[in-house]
Amino acid sequence: MATLERPVLRYRRNQRIVHAVLATSFLLLLLTGMMLLWGPASRFAGGGTSRLVHRIAALGYMSVPIGYLLADRAGAIELVRESFRYDRDDIAWFKHMYRYALGRTREMPPQGRLNAGQKLHHAFVIVVSVGVVGTGLTLWFLKSSLGPDWLAFTTLMHDLCMLGLTLFLVGHLYFTYVYKALSGMTTGYVDAVEARLEHAKWVEELAASPQPAHATDPAHAITKTNKTTTTTYRKGKKQ
Amino acid sequence: MAMAFLLDLGRCIGCQACSAACKTGNELAAGTQFIRLIEQTRGEFPDLSGGFTNHRCYHCADAACVNVCPTGALYKEDGLTRTSRDICSGCGYCVEACPFGVPEMVDGLSSKCDGCADTVRAGGEPWCVVTCPSNALEFGEREEIVKEARERVTAMRARYPKARVYGEDEAGGLGVVMVLPDDPDVLDLPVDPAPGALINTWTGIVQPATLALTAGATVAAGVMGVIARRNHMLELKALEEGEEA
Ligand code: HEM
Ligand code: SF4
Ligand code: SF4
Repeated sequence: MATLERPVLRYRRNQRIVHAVLATSFLLLLLTGMMLLWGPASRFAGGGTSRLVHRIAALGYMSVPIGYLLADRAGAIELVRESFRYDRDDIAWFKHMYRYALGRTREMPPQGRLNAGQKLHHAFVIVVSVGVVGTGLTLWFLKSSLGPDWLAFTTLMHDLCMLGLTLFLVGHLYFTYVYKALSGMTTGYVDAVEARLEHAKWVEELAASPQPAHATDPAHAITKTNKTTTTTYRKGKKQ
Repeated sequence: MAMAFLLDLGRCIGCQACSAACKTGNELAAGTQFIRLIEQTRGEFPDLSGGFTNHRCYHCADAACVNVCPTGALYKEDGLTRTSRDICSGCGYCVEACPFGVPEMVDGLSSKCDGCADTVRAGGEPWCVVTCPSNALEFGEREEIVKEARERVTAMRARYPKARVYGEDEAGGLGVVMVLPDDPDVLDLPVDPAPGALINTWTGIVQPATLALTAGATVAAGVMGVIARRNHMLELKALEEGEEA
């Protein structure tokens, strides 16, 4: 039975470190940014320490793409490539997304290493980060020459970018909780049953390849079983 | 009660007494000034005339600086725009937002006239007003000050046909009601100093919406997460039982 299978390696050590840098710097940016946005938190902004922390965390945030390329080039490229490529199953997945959001994976179309929602999340983060960094750097280096309208426009766009990123973060944490996915980013391994359920095409791919690309540790490589995936999604059938 | 200054640019002789008294009275650090007198030559040759602009915080009722200040370091009190430098974050938003270019950063914190808050609260008059030798400055209830400004303009019209009151309604009504001998733009004053629509969109719509949506999404995710997780655990259980059977 499936639970007897070994956990599947999902994220290599360097990928987990890069993710930790991204998560930590984002939360610091959110916290210190909120001190200029939310009245009750603004008393912690007095003196300007929060603004200094915001800039230090921004350096961490901006270092992530370079850091990822240096630490795990293949992983970084794979992330970007997959995040912007959607196949028919992905489109079908979006159509049934409400089910996934309600914790019912079994009725979803089979997904690859990243499900369609994860792809969208990652693509959104990449695109909107360009906006938050651009407006942030403008506020950092050009603020004293902006004047009333450009100051308002730049901060307004900075706020909207952060709103978008924060809403996606809420969703990101939501799915992490519902599908018990945290271990993928802490230990690197995820439960085989969950992997088979939520990323059927990926698990098949791993099992089929003689030297699994993702499981560098052979002890944890998935062994091919003659059992097909457990998804019960049937194309074209109304459920 | 709304208080206000009267600033009569027809009478200002540029003697710098107000600026010096302000600096001493408020113990301003070297290099800091709340009032700047700038000499001007107006008109076209040969009709030249001289005069001074008296650049200072005009204590707008609709103060852009207060609108954008994230910490409450700038706030309105009795019609004047006060400052609490101890809670200023040094973000500089007020410097950019002020339509008159008034606040400055001094030692990393915003610095501008606070209407001699301590003196006025104790019942006194601002330093500049006490010192002015030519009656160009007065301080009192805003209603009275506006009345006085109108009277002075009427009296001036013979000599200065373009004389007018400035600040009665500008930017919601200034706390420094001015008597101008000429058009505002000639005196380096913006014709319409009202805070722009973008500033109001930012602080009045985008900021509150950002907070509300973030809070709403977090609460919704919290509630829905419990339900969805239970559904998922049930489907895992069903899967296990199905495979064992
Ligand atoms: C990584 C690039 C970023 C840079 C360079 C940057 C820079 C800045 C700067 C210079 C300011 C102006 C305030 C000040 O002078 O202290 C600011 C404000 C702010 N930042 Fe960022 N930031 C970045 C990313 C973020 C992110 C990711 C978030 C949210 C998670 C965020 C949230 C905010 C907020 C809420 C404000 C206050 C805006 C307002 O007052 O309406 N920033 N940022
Ligand atoms: S003149 Fe500038 S600093 Fe003074 S109250 Fe108006 S906006 Fe604020
Ligand atoms: S610099 Fe200080 S006073 Fe000016 S807007 Fe920022 S926190 Fe407020």
